[in-house]
Amino acid sequence: MSGTTSTLEPLFTFVTSSYAALETNFFKIPGSAVVARYVKSSHQNDPGRTLLEVILIIFAVRTLLQSRTRADHSGKHFIQFDEKEIDDLVDEWTPEPLAQPLTQQEKADLACAPIIVGPNGPKPKLSTGKTVTNLASYNFTGLSGNTIIKERAIETLRKYGLGSCGPPGFYGTQDVHIQLERDIADFLGTEAAILYSQAFSTISSAIPAFCKRGDVIVADRGVNFAIQKGLQISRCTVRWYDHNDLESLEQVLESVEKERRKKKAPLTRRFIVTEGIFDHDGAMSDLPKLVELKEKYKYRLILDESVSFGSVGRTGRGLTELYNVPASQVDMLVGSVANGLSSCGGFCAGSHVVVNHQRINGTSFVFSASMPATLSVAASEGINILRNTPSILSTLQDNVRAVRAVLDRVECISIPSHSASPIIHINIRWPSPATLQLPSATSSPTKPSNPLSVLPRDPPQFDVELEERLLQDVVDEALAQGVMITRARRLRGQELVDVRPSVRLAISAALTRKECEKAANTVKAAFVKVLGKRR
Amino acid sequence: MSTAASYLSAVSEADARARAHGGTPNSTPALSLSSSLTGSSEDTVLDDTGADVVDALLYPRVPPTSEQVFTTVHTEFGHCANEKYRFTSQHRAGTPYKSNPEQDPPYYIVLTTYLSYLMVICLGHLRDFIGKRMRPSRYKHLMAQNGYAALNSDFDSFYTRRLKTRIDDCFSHPVTGVPGRTIVLLDRYSPDYNVTMIPTGTRTRALNISSYNYLGFAQGKGACADAVEESVIRYGVCAGGTRLEGGTLDLHLQAEALVARFIGMEDALISSMGFATNSTIIPALVTKGCLVVSDEYNHASIRYGVRLSGASVRMFKHNDMQSLETLLREVISQGQPKTHRPWKKILLIVEGLYSMEGTLVNLPVVMELKKKYKFYLFIDEAHSIGALGPHGRGVADYFGINPRSIDILMGTFTKSFGAAGGYIAGNKALVDRLRLRGHSGTYAEAMAPPVLTQVIASMSSIMGVTIPVEKSSSPALPLLRASSVDTHVSEFEPECAYPGTAPVSALPVWMPLAPTLVDGSDGQMRLRRLAFNTRYLNRGLRKLGFITYGHDDSPVVPLLLFGPGKMAVFSRMMRTRATPIVIVVVAYPATPLVLSRVRFCLSAAHTKEDVDMVLTACDEIGDFLDLKHGAGERWPLQEIIDRAVELVNMPEAP
Ligand SMILES: Cc1ncc(COP(=O)(O)O)c(C=O)c1O
Repeated sequence: MSGTTSTLEPLFTFVTSSYAALETNFFKIPGSAVVARYVKSSHQNDPGRTLLEVILIIFAVRTLLQSRTRADHSGKHFIQFDEKEIDDLVDEWTPEPLAQPLTQQEKADLACAPIIVGPNGPKPKLSTGKTVTNLASYNFTGLSGNTIIKERAIETLRKYGLGSCGPPGFYGTQDVHIQLERDIADFLGTEAAILYSQAFSTISSAIPAFCKRGDVIVADRGVNFAIQKGLQISRCTVRWYDHNDLESLEQVLESVEKERRKKKAPLTRRFIVTEGIFDHDGAMSDLPKLVELKEKYKYRLILDESVSFGSVGRTGRGLTELYNVPASQVDMLVGSVANGLSSCGGFCAGSHVVVNHQRINGTSFVFSASMPATLSVAASEGINILRNTPSILSTLQDNVRAVRAVLDRVECISIPSHSASPIIHINIRWPSPATLQLPSATSSPTKPSNPLSVLPRDPPQFDVELEERLLQDVVDEALAQGVMITRARRLRGQELVDVRPSVRLAISAALTRKECEKAANTVKAAFVKVLGKRR
Repeated sequence: MSTAASYLSAVSEADARARAHGGTPNSTPALSLSSSLTGSSEDTVLDDTGADVVDALLYPRVPPTSEQVFTTVHTEFGHCANEKYRFTSQHRAGTPYKSNPEQDPPYYIVLTTYLSYLMVICLGHLRDFIGKRMRPSRYKHLMAQNGYAALNSDFDSFYTRRLKTRIDDCFSHPVTGVPGRTIVLLDRYSPDYNVTMIPTGTRTRALNISSYNYLGFAQGKGACADAVEESVIRYGVCAGGTRLEGGTLDLHLQAEALVARFIGMEDALISSMGFATNSTIIPALVTKGCLVVSDEYNHASIRYGVRLSGASVRMFKHNDMQSLETLLREVISQGQPKTHRPWKKILLIVEGLYSMEGTLVNLPVVMELKKKYKFYLFIDEAHSIGALGPHGRGVADYFGINPRSIDILMGTFTKSFGAAGGYIAGNKALVDRLRLRGHSGTYAEAMAPPVLTQVIASMSSIMGVTIPVEKSSSPALPLLRASSVDTHVSEFEPECAYPGTAPVSALPVWMPLAPTLVDGSDGQMRLRRLAFNTRYLNRGLRKLGFITYGHDDSPVVPLLLFGPGKMAVFSRMMRTRATPIVIVVVAYPATPLVLSRVRFCLSAAHTKEDVDMVLTACDEIGDFLDLKHGAGERWPLQEIIDRAVELVNMPEAP
C-alpha cells in the first residue's frame, strides 16, 4: 500500500505543480476571477449542477471538434495505397451507365398512359381525338370541374397569387391553410389536422415523425407503397400480419407482447399501421374490430384513408363515418386531399399533440413549401359541398353497386375489392384449380405466417408478365369501345410484396347510373373478349 | 356505444354550424376581410383600409411620372423604373469561384453564445425538474400513461419545449395575401410564453424579405395570374390521379417540354412537390452497390431520397473541393466497404445555391473533377434556377457551362416561379426511365393544372416567346405528337438554341400573351433587378460591418447573429419597426449550434428603396445588438445608400 503511494509521489507533485501553474495562468486572463467565483459558489449550492455543466461543456467542445465529414481510415478493411496506385485505380474504374435506355416493353408501358386534352372529368377528350367515359381517374365525388370551386379558386388566386413561396415555418402558413386544416378536423371530428402538400408524401413523413428506432409497428402485409417507404425511413421494428386478417393481427400483437415480457424490454411506442380501403386491392378494414384490438393491446392506430376519405360514409367522411366510429379513436388518420377533395395534398388528423408534433418533425411538412392557396380553398369548398349534399355519396354508392352488379357475375375475373369500395380491382381468374385460390387469407392457414417477414406463408403464385399483358389488352379493348380504364400501376421489384396484376376502376358520382352500367358492360365485354380467346 | 352516438350528433352539429355560416366555411372573416386589401386591384396602388397602413410600403417614394406606366401592384411588385438599378448575374470567365471568407467572430461572442445555450439548457432542465413535481399534469403527455409510451418523450422534445418555444413568435407566423414584395401578417399574441398563440384579429403589412420569391412571380395580378385564371376556367383545379393512371393532361406534356427547353436539356419530367422530386426520384437513380457523394449541407429531401435508395453515402465538407477530391480518391480506390468491389456508379449530389449558406456550388472545379473521376453529377437547383445566371437558367448559366455536360438537373417551381412542385431534367433515356421507375409517376398525384399554367407562364416570361410569321398548321394540339412518347421533345424546331426563347407552339393556345411577356422584357427586367438587389444587399451589409456568408450574387443572404437570444430580439425589432420588416431566423439544428443567423431572401419585386430600408434597419439593430464584427473597410450607411450603383458594379468588393 505504502509502496504504491511512494511510486505515485512524483506524479502527485507533478499534478499539483501543473495545477498551480494552470491556476496562476488562469487568473491572468481578464474576467477569470468572476468565472472562478461563479463556479465555486454554484458548486457550493449544487454540486450536481457543476457536474452537469462540465458535461455540457465537454459535449459542446466535442460537437465543435467533431467533423461530420471525417474520413473513415480506422476500419480494419482500409487498404493503404500510394498516390500513383490511386491514380491508376481511378483510371481503371468504369462506372455503369446512369440509366439503361428503356426496353421495348418498358416503352410500351410508358406510352400506354392515356393523355387527356383539356379538362379531366367524367367524359374527357383524349389525344386521339376520342371522347371517352372515364373509369380511370380519381374523381369520386365529381368535384373536379365544379363551377363553384372554380369561382372560389379564381377569387383566391387574385388575392393570394399562386404559390405560397415558403415552407410553413417561414411565412408559408396562410390563413387559408389554417382554415382548411380546421375544416378537415371539423369535418372528421378530430381535434386538429395538418396539411402536407402532396398526398404521397404525407404518410411517408407522418410515420417516421412518430416511430423511431426501437419502436414497434405492426403492419398489414398489403399496405401501400407510401406506407412501405415510411416504414423504411423510420427504421423501427416492423411485424407483419396477414392482409386484412384481424385474427392474424391479434396473434401478432399477442406474440409481440409476449416477446416484450420475456425480454423485460422497456415500454416503447407501438403502432398498428393499416389502410381504410387498400390501394392495392380495394379491400376494406373492419374498423371497429381494429379499434377494439388496438385498445386492448394499447397500440396507437395509424389509418391511411387515402382512398376511403371523400368516398365512403354518408357524406364522405370515410371509414369512421361508415362504421360510426369516432375519428378521435383513430390516433393518426391520414387522408388524401388530392383524391378525396379533387385538389392536391394530404392531411393527417388527430389530437393536438399528434398534429403539433408533426409541425416540427414531419420532414416533408417542415422542408417543403405549403400548398398553393388556390388549391387549399378549392379543398375547403369541396368539404363544404360534401357536407351540404349527401346525395353525392349516395349517387356514388349507387354507381358502385351498378358496376358491381355487372362485373360480379363475370366468370373469368375475380374482384378482391369490398362491395362498397369506389375503387374496384379486377384480377384475372384462371380456370385451373391450382391458381383458383385468391390471395385473400380467409382460409385460415393451419400455421401462421412469420411476422418477421413481409412475405406471407404461401404467397399466391401468378405470372406477372402474362397477366399484365392480358390486362393491357383489356384496357386497350375497353378504350377502343370508349371506356378509359387503367391497369393498377406498380413498381414491380420495389414493392415489398409482389401484388397481383389488376385493372383498377375508379367510380365517380359525376356519371349517371346508366353510364356506369354501360361502361361496366363494356369492360365486361373487353374481359370476355380478351380472356375468352385464350380458352 | 354511446361514443358513436355522441360522435354522430357532434358531426351533425358541425354541419349545422357550417351551414349557419352562410354555406362556405371558408368565407371566413379572414378571407372576407382581406378583400378590402386587394379588392381594388385595378389600381396600381392598393387601398389598404383594412390593415395597419404603412405609407412606405404602399406608395413608391418617388411618385411615377406621367409617362411611366406600371402594370404591377406596388405592394406585390415594387415600382422601379431606374435603369441604373439593374445588374447581370454572371460569373466572370477566367476567375476562380470564391465566396466570401467565413469570418470568425471575436472570442467573447463565441463564449457568450455557448454560455447562453448553457443557461437556457440548465434553466430548462431546472424547470422540467420542478415542473414535473409541481405540475405533473402539464407533463402528462410526455410520460408513459396507462400502458402507452409517450408519443414524444420529455427527453426527445427538450430542445423544442425549452429552447425553441422561447422564440416561437419568430416562426410559423400566419400570413395572408400575396407573398410578394410585402406580406400581410395576421397579428397574434401569446398569453403563456408562446405555448399558445391567439390571433388578435388585426393585420400588419410588412416588407417581405423572407419569401422565396426571387423573380417576384408571386403576384395576384399580371400576365401569369391571367393565364392561371384562364386555365382554372378551362381545366378546373385537379388533374385527377397519378401520371400513369389517368392523370396525364396535355398541359403536363407542354410544361415538361418547356422546362426541358428552358433548362437546356433533352427532356424533363415534373412532379407535384419539390421535396418529393428528390425523395421519390433519387431512389430510382441509385441502388445498393452505388455510392452517393453528398455535400454535408444538402437539403433534407436529398437525404431522405438517398436513404430510401439503399445506396451508400459519404459526405464531404461543404463546398470544399479539396475535401471532395480526397474523398473521391479514397472511395474509388477502396471500392465498396469490406468487399472492395468497385462501385457500380458514383453520384455526386450538390445544390446550386445553398439556402442556408448563400454559397454557390463551385461548378467549374466540380466539372473538372467530373472529367477525372467519372462520377455522375446531380445538381439540385431549387434555389438557383431562375435566380442565377444572365438568362435565369441557374448555376450552369451563371458559370457559362453547357447544361448538357451535367447529368441531372433538378429544381423546384416553388421559388423563382411562384408555383409549386419540381422537375428533373436530363437525357431522354434517363428521364423516361425515371418516369417509369420513380415513385412519383406511379403513386403520386399529378401536378394540378393551375400550377402547370403558372410554370408555363412564368417560364415563358423569362424566355420570351417567338411567334413564327406564318401560322402553324395545327395550332390546336401543338404538342400532341407527344402521344407517341418517343418524339415529344426533339420534335421542336432544330434551332432550339440554348438559352433560347419559347416557340409559341409550345404554349397552350388559349394562353393570353402579354406583349412584355412575348418580347422577354418582363423576364429580363426581373432577372436584372434581382441581380442588382442581391449584390447591393450583400455588399451593403458587409460595408456596414456585418459578418455575412455566401457569395455576392446569391439572393439568399445569411447574416450571422451567433447568440440565440439575439435571434428573437432581431426578429421582433424588425417586425415592430415603423415600417415593419419580416425576416427569417434560423438556428440549430438547421445550422451549427453557434452559427444562428438571419436569412434574407431578395426578390426582383424589391426596389432599391426597400433594400435601403433593410440596410437602415440592420444598421440600427446591428449597433444595438453588437453584431458588427466583420473585417474590412466600412462605409457609413448614407454613403452606402448614395453610392449603391457604384458598389454593385465594382468587380470585386473592395
Ligand atoms: C435544395 C432544396 N431542394 C428541395 C426543396 C423542396 O422544395 P419544395 O418546397 O418545392 O417541396 C427545397 C426547399 O426548401 C430546397 O431548398
